[in-house]
Amino acid sequence: MNLFPSMMAQVVEESFFKKVPGPGLYGLLALGLILGIVLCLALSRVPSNMRRWVIVGFTFLAGLPYVAAYLWPTPVAADFQTEIPRNGVEKVGFFLNQAMDPVGTITNIIQGFLLGVGFYSLVRIHYTKVKRRQENWGFSIVLLTCFVLMAVIGLWDWQMRTFVDTTGALNVRDNWTAVNYIQDFLFEGIYQQMDSAMFSMIAFFILSAAYRAFRIRSVEATVMMASALILMLNLMGALTFAQGNAIESLAANSNNMFLMNFKINTFADWLRSTMQIPAIRAIDFGVGLGALAMGLRLWLGLEKGGVT
Amino acid sequence: MNLNYDVIKITAGVIATIGLYSILYKENRFYRLFEHIFLGLAAGYTIVATWKDTLYPQWWQKMMGQAATADAPAVPGYWIYAALLPIGLLAYLVFNKKHNWMSKIPIGVILGLWSGQQIQVWWNTWGPQIFSSMQPIIPTTFSPLNVPSTMEAVGGKVLPIADPDRAAAVQQQITNNLFVTQALTNFIFVITFISAFSYFIFSFELKGKLMTGVNKFGRWMLMIGFGAIFGSTVMARFALVIDRMAYIVIEWVQALTRGA
Amino acid sequence: MQKVDRRVLYGILVVCVCVGLFFPSTIRTDPDPSSKSFYAAVKSLPQGSTIIVQTDWTNSTRGESLGHFENLMRLLMDGEHKFIFYSAADPAAPQVARTVIARIVAERKEQGLKEYKIGEDYVDLGFFPNAEATNTSMGANLKAAWAGRKSKTPDGKEIDIFKTPVLAKVNKIEDCQMMVVITASQSIDIAVQRLAQKIDITALVTGVVGPTVLPFYQSQQIKGVAVGLKGVYDIEYLMEYGINDAEIEGRKYVTWDGPKVDKVEQGTRFSRGRQYYGTLHVALALLILAVVMGNVAMFAARRRKGEQV
Repeated sequence: MNLFPSMMAQVVEESFFKKVPGPGLYGLLALGLILGIVLCLALSRVPSNMRRWVIVGFTFLAGLPYVAAYLWPTPVAADFQTEIPRNGVEKVGFFLNQAMDPVGTITNIIQGFLLGVGFYSLVRIHYTKVKRRQENWGFSIVLLTCFVLMAVIGLWDWQMRTFVDTTGALNVRDNWTAVNYIQDFLFEGIYQQMDSAMFSMIAFFILSAAYRAFRIRSVEATVMMASALILMLNLMGALTFAQGNAIESLAANSNNMFLMNFKINTFADWLRSTMQIPAIRAIDFGVGLGALAMGLRLWLGLEKGGVT
Repeated sequence: MNLNYDVIKITAGVIATIGLYSILYKENRFYRLFEHIFLGLAAGYTIVATWKDTLYPQWWQKMMGQAATADAPAVPGYWIYAALLPIGLLAYLVFNKKHNWMSKIPIGVILGLWSGQQIQVWWNTWGPQIFSSMQPIIPTTFSPLNVPSTMEAVGGKVLPIADPDRAAAVQQQITNNLFVTQALTNFIFVITFISAFSYFIFSFELKGKLMTGVNKFGRWMLMIGFGAIFGSTVMARFALVIDRMAYIVIEWVQALTRGA
Repeated sequence: MQKVDRRVLYGILVVCVCVGLFFPSTIRTDPDPSSKSFYAAVKSLPQGSTIIVQTDWTNSTRGESLGHFENLMRLLMDGEHKFIFYSAADPAAPQVARTVIARIVAERKEQGLKEYKIGEDYVDLGFFPNAEATNTSMGANLKAAWAGRKSKTPDGKEIDIFKTPVLAKVNKIEDCQMMVVITASQSIDIAVQRLAQKIDITALVTGVVGPTVLPFYQSQQIKGVAVGLKGVYDIEYLMEYGINDAEIEGRKYVTWDGPKVDKVEQGTRFSRGRQYYGTLHVALALLILAVVMGNVAMFAARRRKGEQV
């Protein structure tokens, strides 16, 4: 029985880039780290007139796999998991397809590291405030305390659930320790409720603005208000149902089915599919064209003042 | 114990909610306190989530692999992922005066990945939408002018046509024809889309009554779109207030009474 | 009249909403066509289908998204579908979803219905930080995109997600029958742009996101969408009455030109949507009243000043 794990380990496919855990892998990890550091040091030596091209090059290379994978001809219904490419063109297509995941993973990882810049900034600002006893520095202490508390307790809770609790016992509250309770209290009890409260406050401001500022002063304002009003009336099911019933009675008594078009929800559906949707589509289309142009300019390094 | 914990937890949530709502009355220190608690917790949780849901499974685990266990064979680790650490950390050079240009490299990689996807994204988004916007505007029949009803009046009620043959005939008539009202609806759809979009054309000066008229009409059509967005947003924000109030007057009160 | 203190308006809103909450009632309505399409699309899935659930909401939009997510869970569990859930928008979203799933599982267990188990009936993939890259990878190579992710099993062990009964037969995204995106952000756009050609997508979105998603519905890039709190109530209403199914006084509750779509026979149907929908009426009426009164006050003031209105 003890042989089983080692037998299993033998069938694992290794290559130059992937090794099973052990001294070999750890040595290569150190090598990978050194390679990264050497690359960064080499980049730091780049003369200032070449720096723009380094950034443009990284940007271009990062975007290239997606463009190539989209434009490269591949069989329409290719199953990249089980099928084997038939010729050189398909081999490239299959390779590009396989490249999608590592490229996506690299983005996620780099983005993960980038988030740290924001945390560093936040901590620096509030630490400086406390250090210099600037106005309201007490609130900065509160912020930093909550920040550290949530991070430490959150990671502790995760560590317990991932490495200590191998049977899933912590999914049941009776088995919780103080750490799990504090994590739940901070996340579910306070953070999530405040998140919800923050977003809901906008409703109060909308109501106040509707009373003070939503005025029929021009054709544009009138058209906008009419569109919003019809949509809001249509959201009130009790109202549309009662009005619909009244229209139905009228139609039945007069035997004129055309009247049915005057039900609020029928008219609101018509307005939505005939005018609201194309208008919103036009707005998005304008934005979409802008995004395409911006995307191409960024990718090809044409956007001055962008990343460069 | 559990019941008591529930009461404490929900009470804390209610106090925090009221603390934030206090800004609606006026600017005050109670609000400022809870605002800073919120920001601290949000930043702290993002660190936890970034590690446990991104860096740990996608970077650390893939890099370190996994030793064989009784149930599963070993998973090899990709050592080259170690090189991503220094590259990712380049972003922190933004605080260094001499090398801050290098912080743009990881940002450039992210932007490159975004921009490289735009060609595919544009076509996938707009191909079907342009296609579905091109609607027929010439009617195939003028008699009747509007779409025949599939309903009929029976005993003071409007019900679907009961006779299956007549219902099928009406249905077939609807399927086979484009009526004047439908053509008009389609025309309004197309003209709304084109005129509203034309409002975004800034590349050349619009001259003449027709062009300025289309432009002006487009602005009105845009307002219809904005009206829809406003109405829907109002529903969304009110839903959130309703939920908060439900949390306080129903969930909290229930917890208090149960807890007691 | 134009000088009413804003705090008075806020107070009226709070009072109206609180009072409304104490009178939940089943309001007769006609669900939106897009909500009907959503319900029909989910109900027409063969029993035991595999569904991808991208849950991109947190408690910040609990008033709408929680109801949507609860409805979706009840619908999927009613159809005994297997599902995979993850978030590509917010790190907190998977935790919020886990809490809701645990509650719905407990509720159905109490009702004597099938108890859903992690690793057997559903899989938790956690959070993916970059929606663009995540959805692109899923479309290109699902196995690679989700490689290395583990799932807990009912007996507390951990196994590779592709060895669970949920994903055992899934090699590519086309092997799943539907993708449902519950979102409070533009992540639905990203999913449609990258995956709509490979899998049927449906959506449950907030009122803020709704207007920008409807063009996708019109062009059939998504097969159905329920928008906002009205959408939550629509789906509950459809679960209770079906389409061309339940009758009252010789007439169907809900009709459409398509075929009959069954109501949900067991488990909870009306829930959060029913509790909140009546109150939404009150709040909307208040807003409309505020707009009308504001304009009346403006015209009155102008008239007093002798201006031409």
